Amino acid sequence: MITEPSSASRLFFKGTLAMLPLSIAVLPWGLLAGSFAIDVGLHPLEGQALSAILFAGAAQLVAMGMFKAGAGLTTMLITTFFITSRHFLYSISMRDKISPLPLRWRLTLGFLLTDELFAICGNQSKDQFQPWYALGAGLSFYLFWNIATLIGIVAGSVIPGLNQWGLEFAIAATFIAIVIPTIKNLPILCTVLSALVLSVTLEHLKVEGSLIFASIGAMLIGYLVENLRGERA
Amino acid sequence: MIFGYILAMTAIVFLSRYLFLEPKLPIKLGVRTQKLLAYSSPAVLTAIWGPIVFMPESELMLTANNAYLWAAVLAALLAWKTKNVLLTTVISMGVFLYLNLEWFQ
Repeated sequence: MITEPSSASRLFFKGTLAMLPLSIAVLPWGLLAGSFAIDVGLHPLEGQALSAILFAGAAQLVAMGMFKAGAGLTTMLITTFFITSRHFLYSISMRDKISPLPLRWRLTLGFLLTDELFAICGNQSKDQFQPWYALGAGLSFYLFWNIATLIGIVAGSVIPGLNQWGLEFAIAATFIAIVIPTIKNLPILCTVLSALVLSVTLEHLKVEGSLIFASIGAMLIGYLVENLRGERA
Repeated sequence: MIFGYILAMTAIVFLSRYLFLEPKLPIKLGVRTQKLLAYSSPAVLTAIWGPIVFMPESELMLTANNAYLWAAVLAALLAWKTKNVLLTTVISMGVFLYLNLEWFQ
């Protein structure tokens, strides 16, 4: 990268700071991922490896439930594929920003491309996008997630009923805080409203892969509204 | 054995995150695709928070004692007026915990 060292560390820090609300919001989930690993009878190292290597909150929690239930490899891989399919959408959206970078950047940012990193960088244009900023956001989030997992593993079930507090609201609050200010025109408003209706409806009907279907449906609606308005103008 | 499972799942997850970042992958995103993808961020993020807010406990809950719903309305108003992510998250989370653990108990 041509970036000066000083501006690289400044960008890294800015990225860390931008991610901070999400890093804090994810702490209870990291704790849960750690303590749940011990609950289902995994070795502490296996519990930590899930966070360190797999690094995918939703997939980890589902995987542990399946370890407990004794599910087979094929079932686990198919389920993982459904849960992780939204990441294909993230990587294709980030393609024009990340694919011109050198291999080490692509591998690193690819590994770190979570919902949260996409929330921070997904709206950025190609000119706004800064690798060091994305690295600061992604890597700091990775550290928060792994430290929280470690604490969860060590503390085990010290905090009883943690999963009944409704701490997942922190995720909703953060995503609302990111999405609402981006609603600047009718197509985006239609996208958000249809994502809401579709995701809740499909989830209610217990459709497998509801998240990815709702997302693609909402994107198409936003795109259609944009085109309809464009033709009239 | 568990480690083998973890590695196999990691392969799928990493592939899903990396695949389209690979420049050798022979696809060219046209103007239409780019326009469509511009809606991916609001679409996916909303599809994640929607069910959390409207379906706590995995059941549709459109009632006045849904703490998630009230706190989400507050979060939306705060986000709209302040555009501050940290402030919005902290205040609405505080109100949510109060509603969920005290008010609606």
